[in-house]
Amino acid sequence: MERTGRSSPTHPPSEYDKGESEDFSALRRLLLSPEQVQLDRLRQRLDTFVVDAQEVSRVLPDAIRLRARQDNRLLASMLPITQEALALSIKQSPQIISDSIAPILGSAVRKAISRAMREMLQSLNQTLEYSMSWQGLQWRWEAWKTGRPFVEVVLLHTLRFRVEQVFLIHKQTGLLLNHVMAEGISSQGEAAISGMLTAIQDFVRDSFQQGQDEGLESLRIGDLTVWIEQGAKAILATVIRGTPPVKLRDVLQNTLESIHTQYSDSLQNFQGDGAVFLETRPHLEDCLQAQFVRKQKGVPVVFGALSALLLVLLGWWAFQASVNHQQWTELLKRIGAEPGIVVTTIQEEGGKTVFHGLRDPLAVDPDRLLEEVGYSPHAVGFHFEPFIALTPEMIRKRAVTGLQPPESVEVSVEGSRIILKGKSSHAWISKVEQSALTIPGISEISLERLIDTDLKQFEALQVELEEHAIFFLTGQGRVPNRELVKIQRVKSILQELDRKAMQLGRQPFIYVMGYSSPVGSHPINLSLSERRANTVLEIISENPFHVLKLSAVGKGVDPEVAPGSGKGQVYSASRRVSFKVVEPGITQLRKAGARTGS
Amino acid sequence: MIQKKICMLGGFAVGKTSLVKRLISGIFSEKYLTTVGVKIDQKSMSVRGQDILLVLWDLYGDDDFQKVRASYLQGASGYILVIDGTRKETVDVACRLHELAMKTIGPVPFVLLLNKHDLVDEWVVECPVVSDLSDQACLVSMVSAKTGEGVEAAFSALSEAMLKS
Repeated sequence: MERTGRSSPTHPPSEYDKGESEDFSALRRLLLSPEQVQLDRLRQRLDTFVVDAQEVSRVLPDAIRLRARQDNRLLASMLPITQEALALSIKQSPQIISDSIAPILGSAVRKAISRAMREMLQSLNQTLEYSMSWQGLQWRWEAWKTGRPFVEVVLLHTLRFRVEQVFLIHKQTGLLLNHVMAEGISSQGEAAISGMLTAIQDFVRDSFQQGQDEGLESLRIGDLTVWIEQGAKAILATVIRGTPPVKLRDVLQNTLESIHTQYSDSLQNFQGDGAVFLETRPHLEDCLQAQFVRKQKGVPVVFGALSALLLVLLGWWAFQASVNHQQWTELLKRIGAEPGIVVTTIQEEGGKTVFHGLRDPLAVDPDRLLEEVGYSPHAVGFHFEPFIALTPEMIRKRAVTGLQPPESVEVSVEGSRIILKGKSSHAWISKVEQSALTIPGISEISLERLIDTDLKQFEALQVELEEHAIFFLTGQGRVPNRELVKIQRVKSILQELDRKAMQLGRQPFIYVMGYSSPVGSHPINLSLSERRANTVLEIISENPFHVLKLSAVGKGVDPEVAPGSGKGQVYSASRRVSFKVVEPGITQLRKAGARTGS
Repeated sequence: MIQKKICMLGGFAVGKTSLVKRLISGIFSEKYLTTVGVKIDQKSMSVRGQDILLVLWDLYGDDDFQKVRASYLQGASGYILVIDGTRKETVDVACRLHELAMKTIGPVPFVLLLNKHDLVDEWVVECPVVSDLSDQACLVSMVSAKTGEGVEAAFSALSEAMLKS
């Protein structure tokens, strides 16, 4: 390699030239030796240039940073190398990569699986819950009615809050730097909206003379809220449906601060080109948060308990209403059917239902009817004018009240006739005969089927007395001892008969009739029969009678015994005294030979 | 896509909103003009192969009842000054708004539009009157919001100027 000078390419060096060249070189060495040495060293260094790693390491970080600022060429250059290096590394030493990413990969995989499972379960739960439940059916009805998708209706009802849109706005110009939306949200004119939000802020700021750092923090329109976070150079506006939690503010502020930190220069030098801010999308998407209403397990229990309580109350109310209705119906029925009560009107007065009309004093007490049907006496009142009812029931009731019949008597009424059946004392019958016709509504009395027990007894005593006979010995006028017992019985019958006759108001005659047998002459027999009758009369009249009047009558020979036909036995039956009860006008007596005794 | 904020400036009833409507059909109601004082729309355009998104701030016409809020001009990359050719006083308003824009956002591209060219017979404004503004504007054009004459071209011209600046 030629290093020291130029040589002619056309002429080979001659001897002269050779000597001259050596001289020239010597001269040059003498004159430029130090510089020549340095020059040779530099030349040698250039020729044998080796990159100094230490020097490069000092400038490399800054060099990369500066180059990356200029354009993406460095990144583009490094990308394939990095990819190849990574691929080679995985191929040769997979363990290193595996160990390196294991801590984050495990966590990330678990997180991803957990999230996927949770979303799947939540989706399944929601699908089941909203498809099968009553609420779900209601929402389906609402979706059908409004023509909106079922999913949208469910979302609206289950959403607590959801950030639907995020605007990153350049503060000075109001131009939109970036914009993200939640899934399913459509928007138009984001740039104009961004400008309008800025204009409204300027308007409010100007109107209320607030500083540049102040501004609207939130707007609310119906279910939508716009939260605006103010930064030094950018504004973060979020459109939120529902009621957002306060902590969302922190998320928005952190996002805005992070963007300011990373894009400070870009924000400062923004001239309308928003390309660089496309990288803020992950930041903005972090703000697209949502929270759904959790179905609280406690609520259905409370709801169930309340529902059960409501059902019980409703059931109780229905039962009470039914009972009240039944009681009211029964009350109306009873009052309507009750004899002696006539209802003319029913009115509501002072919170009470008041019956107006007429009431017989002997009719049932209406308050008692209330008690019997169980209706509340506080809810009902009565205002009845007194009157006399002439219905058969009330006539009978009035008769029973006035006559007070014994239990053995049955009282019935037909029209205006009162019919008495059964048995009663003579005194009560007399009272009925006197007072029954004075009872209002009664004009006739029927006693045909009413038995006078005193009269019956009187008649029975009369028959018993007449069946008795006192027998005498032949030719004797004295009562034999064997007949004294019979005499005592006759005496007690007469006493009883006297008492009954007094009760009945009668004055019967008792004829003591003496008889003799046909043996002997007529005068003797007549005399004997008289003596016998008088003897018995004297004995039975030892105790005085109140109303009975007794007479001894000698009948002579018993007419039932024909003379000469009798035997001893028959004749003994004719020597006797018999008794006959006679009431004036009732029994015709034979007056002949009568004698009055007492 | 490059975004640029543009403000529509001009006196009351010079036709700013009509010019915007001629260009696009926005999502916001015009009531914002009388309430908040601004209505914003967006329009995508392609200028010399470059896509650009214009964010149009249609500001309420400056009059005795309401003044243009300077804060609305902040961050604008350009603006459109609109004059009603049939009303001379709108020139003064345009000048005043131009000064406000210069003061607020500095020298940025703007176009000067003389609107209602369809009523040219009734025009009272002559070009020399607006010569001061014309010198500074990147484009001076006579347009008609009613017929659409020159509207698209004016926005294209402003877009091109903004991209160059």
